Amino acid sequence: MLENYFPVLVFILVGLGFGVAPVILGRVLAPYRPDGEKLSPYECGFEAFEDARMKFDVRYYLIAILFILFDLEIAFLFPWATVFQEFIAAGELAWFVFGSVMVFLAILVIGYIVEWKNGALDWE
Amino acid sequence: MEFKTFVFYFLAVILVFAALRVITARNPVHAALYLVLAFFNASGIWLLLQAEFLAITLVMVYVGAVMVLFLFVVMMLDINLDRLRQGFWSYLPVGSLIGVLMAVEMAMVLGGRYFGLDAMPAPPDPQAGYSNTRELGRVLYTDYVYPFELASLVLLVAMVAAVALTLRKRKGTKYINPSEQVAVKREGRVELVKMPAEKD
Amino acid sequence: MNFVVPDFYPAAAEIFVAIMALVVMLASTFARGVRWLAYALTQFTLIAAAFVTIYTLKGDVSYTFSNLFIGDLLGDLLKLLIYFSMAIALLYGRGYLADRNIDKPEYYVLALLMTLGMMVMVTANHMLPLYIGLEMMSLGLYAMVAFDRDSARSTEAGMKYFVLGALASGLLLYGMSMIYGATGSLEFSGIANAVYHQAANKTVLLFGIVFLMAGISFKLGVVPFHMWVPDVYQGAPSAVTLIIATAPKLAAFAMAVRLLIWGLFDVAEQWQSMLMFVAVLSIILGNLAAIAQTNLKRMLAYSGISHMGFMLLGLLSGVVEGDRHYALNAYSSAMFYAVSYVIMSLASFGMIILLSRAGFEADSIDDFKGLNKRSPWFAAMMMFVMFSMAGIPFFIGFFAKLSVLQAVVAAGYLWIAIIAVVMSVIGAFYYLRVVKVMYFDPPVDPAPIHAPAELRVLLSANGLAIAALGLAPQALMSVCAYALLASL
Repeated sequence: MLENYFPVLVFILVGLGFGVAPVILGRVLAPYRPDGEKLSPYECGFEAFEDARMKFDVRYYLIAILFILFDLEIAFLFPWATVFQEFIAAGELAWFVFGSVMVFLAILVIGYIVEWKNGALDWE
Repeated sequence: MEFKTFVFYFLAVILVFAALRVITARNPVHAALYLVLAFFNASGIWLLLQAEFLAITLVMVYVGAVMVLFLFVVMMLDINLDRLRQGFWSYLPVGSLIGVLMAVEMAMVLGGRYFGLDAMPAPPDPQAGYSNTRELGRVLYTDYVYPFELASLVLLVAMVAAVALTLRKRKGTKYINPSEQVAVKREGRVELVKMPAEKD
Repeated sequence: MNFVVPDFYPAAAEIFVAIMALVVMLASTFARGVRWLAYALTQFTLIAAAFVTIYTLKGDVSYTFSNLFIGDLLGDLLKLLIYFSMAIALLYGRGYLADRNIDKPEYYVLALLMTLGMMVMVTANHMLPLYIGLEMMSLGLYAMVAFDRDSARSTEAGMKYFVLGALASGLLLYGMSMIYGATGSLEFSGIANAVYHQAANKTVLLFGIVFLMAGISFKLGVVPFHMWVPDVYQGAPSAVTLIIATAPKLAAFAMAVRLLIWGLFDVAEQWQSMLMFVAVLSIILGNLAAIAQTNLKRMLAYSGISHMGFMLLGLLSGVVEGDRHYALNAYSSAMFYAVSYVIMSLASFGMIILLSRAGFEADSIDDFKGLNKRSPWFAAMMMFVMFSMAGIPFFIGFFAKLSVLQAVVAAGYLWIAIIAVVMSVIGAFYYLRVVKVMYFDPPVDPAPIHAPAELRVLLSANGLAIAALGLAPQALMSVCAYALLASL
């Protein structure tokens, strides 16, 4: 069965090549003469005020966690996409399966409405 | 060595290396990126086991979403590593002793004798056209419809909890409401006042 | 595919609570200004769910959702007790939350979804819903513990609870997967079947049980997985501590019973010996550590550890050398213990809430000094609770202790019974100390108590119930025994 993944392997290799080759080429072909001034962080010509690694706002976290939740929701829909045709062909259970997925979606849509109304998606 | 076995060992070695780096890397952002590498290799191993759906989910959910969260959290917390590492060396002997003991015990119990190929026979080879995702779909929305719906409620709990804990309205934030801006009329902004002409 | 559309009737209460949780969410969002709405709807839901449960009550055992769901008398009884204790806990906590400005509607939405999680745990016939229910309950609890965002303690407690809880969930899942590996089934009857026919690999099974036990012990809060209990009890807002100390204990009891008795009854002697270790250590550590506490919430946390240890005494004396005659008695004594602990816990944390005001936590033992001068009636109520927790006759706690001790002695573990009795005598010291400061010390703050009328009335009823059930414990005991008998 592994040969089925040959295109994926080719894809990964080509992708890696595209990502890595320019970096290497740039390093090999371009002139490279660093000095202290060139390597220091550029801040409009001033000396750097503070560390570049500053704290992120907690709201990024909220965005990320909401993203995970809806990402998971999508993951639950993939199997549905693959089998729904089969259920329709078999007849009797199509509506049940459709209903179960719709209930699943409805619950999360209610969550979405609530968080939207409460301003969790606003960025003040 | 069969090619499949080679692929397995290839992925497994990178996985173990990446997992080790996750806990040994000094920079937490690097640790998180090594975790991404570990997830990729784990999903490759799952592909070898023909668990395609899980493999894709791992990449999509963990690499795509959970790692974003991890990176945000790592950046949000502003971890001071030197303070975290205090006491590391003094705890190391006890910690490693216990760790090694547990590993040995688990290896004794869970070794090949009980989990070997003869104890757990391999599942029959799937027929042509077998799809792991489709097999899951056949039972997920029928036999397992109860936990499926509950899963959405668990996601809802997480959503409510996240909003309740992190969403705080700041007082005194000034921001623009575009719909109010657009809806503004002349009357709301300009007031014409009658006044007697000033003599000069 | 031989799937039939499931019968939703046995799960009517679960479906009702789920729908109502969504309704509360929407209603409180679209009527944000109406502050009482979320609370009122939540209380309505809990009461109505009790009626739904009673209406759909059946004497026999029914399965639905492809055997993932079990509807039996044990589940129904525990569900009723969960609604009851959640409703009382929310009522007690309402004024407390309003004083601290944390009575947001999300609190009640989480409380309802948590209730649903516990209901799912109680009616699970399969590892999957059991685990999902547990997570639903725990996620809600973690958030509620950290709900007071302005208090560093509350946030820290939430964080601790979350990290340790996630670890315990991981251990539990690990155990479940090993048991699945050994028996080839996630359904409790399937596991029982494989164990009975000795089809399961003994070593792997045993290892799985060890991990399961770790998960259960964490959720019950017993030694050696008790580290979170005092910190979380102390750090959480008292209204949330009240919730943690009550309904989830019933759900954790149900989880233990379903996993161990429904699934692994035929290897009872293996898990009994593990429980023995856990229970004896909990009783010893809980009682000794409680003596040193000056914070009442912390003291009650340690006393809770020892109480859960006592409850486990009932679970571990079911089977003696293959003889199962004692099982029903032993298990119903454990259930009786869990129920009476919940009733006492409600009253004890209710008292802390009663004495607290905006900006002031009455969680130190000194805050109870001279309570008799400020309010003789509530001093008497607190005395009832402390006497009952100490196991002084004739309060409900005494009969709870007596019945588990009888079970332990019947199972032939005389040494455990002796340790338990000695430890509860030692434990009586710190309960009586609270009574002593109430009656013999001058009050620090002589102001009379201000509290909403419904809190006063219900707390009085709660205290009186402890005394009244102590006078007639037989009814509750036989209900527990009957529910188990009809379900096993």
